[in-house]
Amino acid sequence: MSKTVLIVDDSPTMRQIVAFTLTNAGFTVIEAEHGKDAVSKIAKGPKMDIVVTDLNMPEMDGITLIKELRRLSAFKFTPILMLTTESAVEKKQAGKEAGATGWIVKPFNPEVLLKTIAKVLPM
Amino acid sequence: MAGAVMGKETKDLHQHAGLSADGSQFLTFRLGEELYGVDILRVQEIKGYTAVTKIPNTPPHIKGVLNLRGTIVPVVELRTKFGMPTIDYTAFTVIIVVVVQDKVMGLVVDAVSDVLDIKMKDIQPAPDFGDKVDVTFLNGIGKSGNKLVSLLDIDRLLLDPDSKDSPVADAA
Amino acid sequence: MRMDNEDFSQFQDAFFEEAAEHLAVVEEGLLELERHPEDRDLLNKIFRSAHSIKGASGMFGFNAVAQFTHKMETLLDSLRNGQKAVSPSVADLLLRSTDCVKTLIQSAKTRAAVDEETVQRLTAELAAANASDSQPSAVSTNDTAVQPVSAGNCSGDRVYAITWTPPEWLFLRGLDPLQTFKELRSLGDLTGVTMDTSRLPDLADLDPEKCYLSWTMQLTTGKDLKAIESVFEFVREDSKLSIALVTSKGESEHAQKRAAATSTAAFDTETIKPLGQILVEDGLVSPADLDRALAQQKRVGQILVEQKAVTSQQVEEALQKQRQQEAVPLSKKTDTASIRVDTAKIDKLINLVGELVITQSMLSDLGSRFEMRQLPVLLERMVELERNTREIQERVMSIRMVPIGTAFARFPRLVRDLSAKVGKKIQLVLSGEETELDKTVIESIGDPLTHLVRNSADHGIEPPEERLDNNKPEVGTIRLNAFHEGGNICITVEDDGRGLNRDRILAKAVKHGVIGENDKLTDDQIWSLIFKPGFSTAEKVTDVSGRGVGMDVVKRNIENLRGTVSIKTVTGRGTTFTLKLPLTLAIIDGMTVRVGKETYIVPLLSILESIQPKAELVKTVVGKGELINVRGTYIPVVRLYEVFASEPEYTDPKEAILLVLETEEEHVAVMVDEILGQQQVVIKSMEQNFRKVEGVAGATILGDGTVGFILDVRGLIEIARHGNPVAA
Repeated sequence: MSKTVLIVDDSPTMRQIVAFTLTNAGFTVIEAEHGKDAVSKIAKGPKMDIVVTDLNMPEMDGITLIKELRRLSAFKFTPILMLTTESAVEKKQAGKEAGATGWIVKPFNPEVLLKTIAKVLPM
Repeated sequence: MAGAVMGKETKDLHQHAGLSADGSQFLTFRLGEELYGVDILRVQEIKGYTAVTKIPNTPPHIKGVLNLRGTIVPVVELRTKFGMPTIDYTAFTVIIVVVVQDKVMGLVVDAVSDVLDIKMKDIQPAPDFGDKVDVTFLNGIGKSGNKLVSLLDIDRLLLDPDSKDSPVADAA
Repeated sequence: MRMDNEDFSQFQDAFFEEAAEHLAVVEEGLLELERHPEDRDLLNKIFRSAHSIKGASGMFGFNAVAQFTHKMETLLDSLRNGQKAVSPSVADLLLRSTDCVKTLIQSAKTRAAVDEETVQRLTAELAAANASDSQPSAVSTNDTAVQPVSAGNCSGDRVYAITWTPPEWLFLRGLDPLQTFKELRSLGDLTGVTMDTSRLPDLADLDPEKCYLSWTMQLTTGKDLKAIESVFEFVREDSKLSIALVTSKGESEHAQKRAAATSTAAFDTETIKPLGQILVEDGLVSPADLDRALAQQKRVGQILVEQKAVTSQQVEEALQKQRQQEAVPLSKKTDTASIRVDTAKIDKLINLVGELVITQSMLSDLGSRFEMRQLPVLLERMVELERNTREIQERVMSIRMVPIGTAFARFPRLVRDLSAKVGKKIQLVLSGEETELDKTVIESIGDPLTHLVRNSADHGIEPPEERLDNNKPEVGTIRLNAFHEGGNICITVEDDGRGLNRDRILAKAVKHGVIGENDKLTDDQIWSLIFKPGFSTAEKVTDVSGRGVGMDVVKRNIENLRGTVSIKTVTGRGTTFTLKLPLTLAIIDGMTVRVGKETYIVPLLSILESIQPKAELVKTVVGKGELINVRGTYIPVVRLYEVFASEPEYTDPKEAILLVLETEEEHVAVMVDEILGQQQVVIKSMEQNFRKVEGVAGATILGDGTVGFILDVRGLIEIARHGNPVAA
């Protein structure tokens, strides 16, 4: 059975690239524009195996989303990867404290995305 | 199945300089209505357009240089390089950072489209348009569904020493 | 185990570097040996280095190198055992063999073809030397025989001992140790995995969602440390992790046995599950219990603070210590070049970083409860911070500094060979070898120095008869010296030969049309004529210093390093070339200037003055070429916006600023809109990803993160001339 990825990013281009890369690799991809959108997609959607989220987003940012997800028992142990920029050290720390499993430094190439997912997602 | 992710021998793919028998993955992008593709293994990253510093006395398609985490990276505007009219940059304008031999360069394109698997059998040689259109820097034309993708030979496009306005060939 | 090619080449780089050092030892030793043939210590030293080359090259499968060096080693061994005497012919053979090893190593590195004939001839000569003169009974083949080198024996597999104590909250970030083990397995053979359960509390106290476990394991892999570390990327900062290189593969079994003996609870990595999951699955706790326990979980530091066991400051300090430990540099090789650093330099640096951490923690402590009366303390701390930062900057820069001795090392041999070739007696005196300068500079001055030394041997030093006729010692002397002067390094190449011939240089310059027949030149101006392209005063073209095309190249090379060359010469007494070079190429002092919207950096060293010209001072020649009168001297004006085809704010010199810049030959006034300020800038290469740009010496990152260009004054003049020949 195909694993499901939730990708949360306000940039359509970014979502598009991530979605295409992951779909090609055999994942089922669900897209959300921001944290709030993600929460609503989770409420009605299927179980997610892994979440990939940007940090800077309107409505609800990535850190808040990670905290919200970790409060839900269904997401307690789910791998959550955040998309960060290299310079944002505090962001990375904040993300870790919120419960992020790991991070991918932007900009990244598709290979890194797949490798990082393989690193944290039990298959 | 996602297991394919781990089994994929990316290293082996790297060893193919050109196109492998079973095709390759291409990052495709748009210039106007046209679709182009570069081998995904040559793409280092994609970044939004940021202002560049113009390099004195260089051809117009050399947009300038930018600071990529402390390294100086030249940026080529593909529209100008291909003799297409320039347009205003939008939120979709991106710089595709590619690696050509040991050099890192940026390509300004209208928008990134997607990542496509194109099989060898779906790639045909670039047609000869005579002097009208220079197709020497195309590896071929790929078909994906009903889309046509011009597959770029970025080594030739960016490094060919015979081409006098190649960014790394000496201009003089 | 498959050897990863990239990693393998990293080991190879280290080998090539080491081999070069050993070769230098062999070569220096052999030269010394010619003077002291009885020196047994010296022979031992040479033997050891040759032996090291042989051993290492065998390990890497460079059989040609190993086999040839073995022959050399055999001969060296019989020399040091006294079975054979060191004769000039033997020393010469060994020197030629050393050259051959160099070539062989070079070919192993670049896969270039070697001159098989030379290799075979030398092999035969070595074999002959080994066979001759020796008392057969005394030669013990056992002593010198080497194990046959197997080409397949290039497995670079290493065994790493890994100890990992993950943070207690591992599971709560969705991390799973099983994934880590899986990934480690993808790198190589993971064995001897043992779990340390000693931190596991009694069941009653057990928080099912915490990770109390530690693991030790062995990984046999061809990958490097970095690859292993990256497995732990997401937990490294929060884990206790040690990855230690245990042995090469041969000893690994032993290591495994040792590890197995101390293991407490070996288990199959495939079956690991998060503790919480196991407890829930076993029905010991409900998922709800897990959630509740989780909500209560705190970080260990916080708990200790609440229990008043420690203060928050102590925790912060401990955390800093932890970070500091992580900051200890791990071997990280770049694919381009490596640098060997004296451990003392690194220790000092680590001490300084330690001080920095202390200062920083004192400052943050002060900041957390600051009152106005503590202002003097604050200022004092700030001064300390500044001193610290400056010292660290200096120390870090000094890591790139290496003694110039490495560049001098080639000259004893060169002078020896040269004197034989040109039939002169020359001794070489080296001094100041310990003087340090930037690695890049060292790598680039080798050729110019070689040229100057060749030149001195060929043209400077007289033949022995001529020297004796002039009441000079028969043996000529070439001195190479290096020393610091101001912010520069000076390197002198001095000979006690005949000196430069004023009349001959002048005659030649007139003949070549470089100067007019009636031009009055100072001595210095005359000497600098020899740096003109195509200028050579030698009466005969020799194969030693070539066709006289060199001196202009020497000058160009030195100037590319932002240095200068000067000449002092006394007829009949000798000539001294002085190279003056900057200490480092990485940073320059620059003046930031603006033209329209563009920002450029002008090297401060080249700026003589800046002027805001009055209109009448700027004159036009032949309608176009502009000159400015600076205190009676007319200097050509270069409008920067014209040579760079950019949009200026001002086109009228009255409104603009003129920077008077100096190059070796001339002065030029460069017109810009505004001077922005002075700053140190780090030079970045334009060639790395692009190419050389005329008029641009390099690029740098400006304060706002954009790229600015550093001007190349000479290049600017070139562009101005091409566009406007009148100005020349």
